[in-house]
Amino acid sequence: MRLIFFTLFTLTFLNAGGGVLDVDWSSIDNSQQKPSAPYPSVLRDGIKDVHLPVYLSASYAYDKNMMVVAGENFYSVSFKLDGASVVFEGDKTFQESVAPTNPEFQKIVKQTPPVEYVESEGMMIAEFNRHGVNYAITVECDEPKTDGRCTEQSFVQKLYRHLVMVGGRR
Amino acid sequence: MKYFFLIVSFLLLTACTKQSSYNGKEFSYNPSGKLVPSKSGKGRKGDNYIYAPGIRFPIESAPAYLNSQLYGVGGYLGPKGSLCNKKNYSYPWSDNYCEKRRYSMPLCSGGHGHQGVDIRTATCEKRKYYAVAVEKGVITSIGSYVVKLRGKSGRTYRYLHLDSRSLKVRTGQKVRRGQRIGLVSNNMGKTPTSIHLHFDMKQTIKVGNRSKSVFVPPYSSLVDAYKRLLDGHP
Repeated sequence: MRLIFFTLFTLTFLNAGGGVLDVDWSSIDNSQQKPSAPYPSVLRDGIKDVHLPVYLSASYAYDKNMMVVAGENFYSVSFKLDGASVVFEGDKTFQESVAPTNPEFQKIVKQTPPVEYVESEGMMIAEFNRHGVNYAITVECDEPKTDGRCTEQSFVQKLYRHLVMVGGRR
Repeated sequence: MKYFFLIVSFLLLTACTKQSSYNGKEFSYNPSGKLVPSKSGKGRKGDNYIYAPGIRFPIESAPAYLNSQLYGVGGYLGPKGSLCNKKNYSYPWSDNYCEKRRYSMPLCSGGHGHQGVDIRTATCEKRKYYAVAVEKGVITSIGSYVVKLRGKSGRTYRYLHLDSRSLKVRTGQKVRRGQRIGLVSNNMGKTPTSIHLHFDMKQTIKVGNRSKSVFVPPYSSLVDAYKRLLDGHP
């Protein structure tokens, strides 16, 4: 019965047609867009074509050693720390769509908190949705089983709490 | 009448547990969502949807064995023995997406489970077999044991446990489908794991006017990709 249910479910509800999500620019806090000093050129140049709000933790926004990989619909900014690395990501694409009436995904979306802290293969991840776009902060440790930054949520929580918008075009 | 029900029950049971073989070739695999051993968790049975159609198999060459690391021979929760036991290096494949973990996994029963699958290479040797790009894309980040590829589709693929010194890519590099990324190893930072590739796929699913990024089941996509690899058209 379950087999029949899932087969019907996947065939009926999933639509492989992907696309781009709409960014709710009206929900942006404009005061965050005024940095106290210009951000490093590696960041300014790296995200100049990104068409979604770009968020980094305030304490990292001026680190010139960041690595930026970005396109019109996504960005990934990574930092090497002592014994760990941090990656800030945002992406406004989707790969599947399901009907709003789909019971499984309706439940999943309804139960998703504003920010979710997820353990993942020794990493600690904060996932959240802002302005209709999906973001993640990932902390990966050289010693994942013992490094508190990857075994406890406090470090990634701190990164999340100190997020500032550092750019992104409409 | 009693015998009739017994025979019907037997046939039904056989049909449910039958391993699918491929074109008479040696490769066989259990159905998606059937976790082995059954105590290893509750799989997402019956979800045969190919979430990543047309991807290349993430290991350059066959054979490769998709099965549990944790519950396989020599695994932390598996039967005693060597991790190199030939049982670990044999068909059929067994899905291990949703295998018991404490990780949050909305698509798994109970909301927790393994976010991807573990794949062993042809032999129990580290730094011998290459992991390759499953689709054209860009390497978005490289950590101490994780390489992340964002495909042209927008889907994100994570390759875990590659040997850091053997990496053929750098952050920001554009890669073509099938391009070498690095050698499969047991790298997990300073705390090594067993020799395997952990591979997972994350994509965003739009539900009405909302959306959610989730780790989706890779098993059916990988079975499809592996068949093409065996056919010589990866």
